[in-house]
Amino acid sequence: MKAAQPIRTRPGFFRRWLTLGTIGVRMMFFDRLKLLGTLFGVVFAVVLGNFQVGTFLALLFKNRMFVENAVADVWITPPGTRQFQGGSPLNDAQLNRARSTPGVAWAEPLVLQTAQLKLPNGGSEPVSLVGTRAPRFAGGPWNLVAGETEALLQPDAVFFEDSEREKFGGLNLGSVRELSGHHVRAVGFTWGLLPFAPAFAFAEQTLAREILKQPAGSHTFLMVGAAPGVSPVELRERLQRELPDTRVMTRDEYLSEILTYILTATQIGMSFGLSTFMGLLVGLITVALSMFSSVVDNMRQFGTIKAIGATTGDLGRLLFVQAIVYGVVGSLVGLGLMAAMVQGIRNAQLTPILPNLAVGITFTLMIGVCLLASVLALVRLRKLEPAMVFR
Amino acid sequence: MNDLAIELRGLTKTYGTGALAFQALKGIDLQVKTGEFMMLVGPSGSGKTTLLSILGCVLSPTEGEAVLFGEKLHGRKESELPDLRLSYIGFIFQGNNLIPALSVEDNVAFPLELRGASRKQALIEARDVLSAVGLSDKMKRHPNDLSGGQRQRVAVARAVAGRPPLILADEPTASLDAHTGQQVTELLKKLSTERGHTVVVVTHDNRIFHFADRTVHMEDGLLVPAPAQP
Ligand SMILES: Nc1ncnc2c1ncn2[C@@H]1O[C@H](COP(=O)(O)OP(=O)(O)OP(=O)(O)O)[C@@H](O)[C@H]1O
Ligand SMILES: [Mg+2]
Repeated sequence: MKAAQPIRTRPGFFRRWLTLGTIGVRMMFFDRLKLLGTLFGVVFAVVLGNFQVGTFLALLFKNRMFVENAVADVWITPPGTRQFQGGSPLNDAQLNRARSTPGVAWAEPLVLQTAQLKLPNGGSEPVSLVGTRAPRFAGGPWNLVAGETEALLQPDAVFFEDSEREKFGGLNLGSVRELSGHHVRAVGFTWGLLPFAPAFAFAEQTLAREILKQPAGSHTFLMVGAAPGVSPVELRERLQRELPDTRVMTRDEYLSEILTYILTATQIGMSFGLSTFMGLLVGLITVALSMFSSVVDNMRQFGTIKAIGATTGDLGRLLFVQAIVYGVVGSLVGLGLMAAMVQGIRNAQLTPILPNLAVGITFTLMIGVCLLASVLALVRLRKLEPAMVFR
Repeated sequence: MNDLAIELRGLTKTYGTGALAFQALKGIDLQVKTGEFMMLVGPSGSGKTTLLSILGCVLSPTEGEAVLFGEKLHGRKESELPDLRLSYIGFIFQGNNLIPALSVEDNVAFPLELRGASRKQALIEARDVLSAVGLSDKMKRHPNDLSGGQRQRVAVARAVAGRPPLILADEPTASLDAHTGQQVTELLKKLSTERGHTVVVVTHDNRIFHFADRTVHMEDGLLVPAPAQP
C-alpha cells in the first residue's frame, strides 16, 4: 500500500468561515439553557434601552410639539425662554417693531395661558388655552380628529383634546361648558396634543383674550413669517438687534434649545441616559459572562478543535459568528417585544416613540456588545494550549 | 532514503523555568519507518505524552531535532504548528474528545473541512470511513448517544479521515473494557495498514502489545531497552 501523503489543501476564505460558523452555531444551540440565558441578556438590554430612549423621545416630543407644528419661521419670546412656556408678556410696541423690520412677511401674537374648565359634576380641570389668530391660524389647532379649523370663527367656539374628553366630563361636539367663567362650545377635537402642562385647547385669539382676561396689547409670544428669499437665521439676527430685551430664535433653534434644556437643565436627560447605559451594561455583562462561561465549560472541545488544526483565528471566527447570531436574534426578539409593548400601552399620554433609527442603532449596538463579549472570550482561548487535550 | 516518518535526535523537553523547571524528556533518539505501527510504553510520568505531543506538533521541543516526513519541527514558531497538524497528523485522544454538539458524521467531517474539503466531499468521505469502522447506522447520532467503544471508533474514523500520514493515539483503550479495547486497536491496525498510515500508540495496556510492529520503552524521560521478559 502506498504511504499516505501530506495534505496540503486548505479552505478558502468563505469555506473557512462557513465551517467554523456552523460549528459555533451548533455549539450554541446544543446548550439550550445557556443560549436562553445569553439571549435574555441581549433582549433585556434591547427592551430597557429602547424603552428609555423611546420614553425620552416621547417626553421631548411633548415639549417640542407646539413649536414643531406652528407655522412660524422665527419666534420672539420673553428673555430667558428655554422651553415652550410663557414668561413676562410681550407688548404691542415690540409687535410693531417686528412688523416694521425688513424681511418680515408677517408677525402676529400668540396667547397661551391656563384656563379652568368647569365640569358637569361641579369640579374643574385646567387646560392650556391657546389664542390662535384667524385667518392664518399659525398657532394651531392641528391633528384634528373632528371639526374644521374655520369652526373657530363661530361665536364661543373652542377645540379640545380628544383623549381628554372623558376627563372633561364626557365632552362631545356641540357640548357647552364654562371655561374660566365664559360659556364656550366644543366645535372640534385634536388628538395627542398633551404637553406636560394641561392639554392644549384652542380658541380664536379675540375669544381667548376674553376668557383669559388678557389685554389686547399683551402677548405671550410673537410668531414671525419670513419674506420669500430671507433666511430665518438672517431674520432672527435682525429681529434680535431690533428687540434686544427679548429672546429671538428660529424655529430650529427653538427646537434644539428645548432639547438642550431638557438634557442639561433638567434631571430627565441624565436619568434616562443613566438607565439606558445601565441597560446596556447589564446586557453586556450578561452576554459576556455567559459567552465566557460557555467557553470555559467547553474548554476541552476548544482544545480539541485547536489540536486538530484550527488556529486561534479560526476560534475567533467561531465566536464571531456566535456573537452575530446572539446580537441579531436578541435584537429581533427584543424589538418585537418592544413593539408589542408599545402597542399595548398606546395612549395619548406617554407612548414611547420608536423611530426607525432606533432599530438600526439597536442592531449595531447589540452586535457590538456581543462582539466585545466574544473578544473577551477569545482572549481566554488564545492562551489555551492544544496539548491540554492529552491530559 | 526518505522512508523515515519520524527522526528524533537528542530531543529534550523542559517544562517551566528556573527552580520550577522540570525536564520531562532527557535526550531522545528515535527513528520510525513510514508505515510502521509503533507502541510507546512505560511507567506513568516517564514522558510518553510529552513525546507524543511534540510528534503531534502541539508542543515545541526544548532542544534537539525532530523531523517529520523530512520536515523540521524544531525551531518552529508556534503559529506554524496548526498548519503542520493539518498536513500530517490525525489524533486519537484518551477520552474521546468528540464534539458533543455535532453529529457523528459531522465530527468526522470537521477535520476534512478544516483541510478545505467541500461540505459534500467531507460528508462522503466521513460516511465512507464510518462504514469502515462499522458505524454506518450511527452517522446521524450524537456522541452522547453512543457507547464508549462506539465513540472510540468514531475517534478512529476522525483520525484517519482524509488520510493524514501520521496517526497518534494516547491511551486509546484506557476507558474501554479489554474486549472492546482489542477491537478498537485491531480496527486501527487494519485501517492503517490498508491506508498507509504510520501510527504511534502510547499505552499501558499489555493486552494490545501484540498488534505493534515494534514496542519502544520509556523510563524517566529516556528510551530504554525492553525489560527482560519474565
Ligand atoms: N505542562 C506541564 N508542566 C509541568 N510539568 C509537566 C507538564 N506536563 C507534564 N509534566 C511532567 O512531565 C512528566 C512527564 O509527563 P507525561 O504526561 O509526558 O508522562 P506520561 O508518560 O504520559 O505519564 P502517564 O502515563 O501518567 O500519562 C511528568 O512528571 C509530568 O508531571
Ligand atoms: Mg500520558
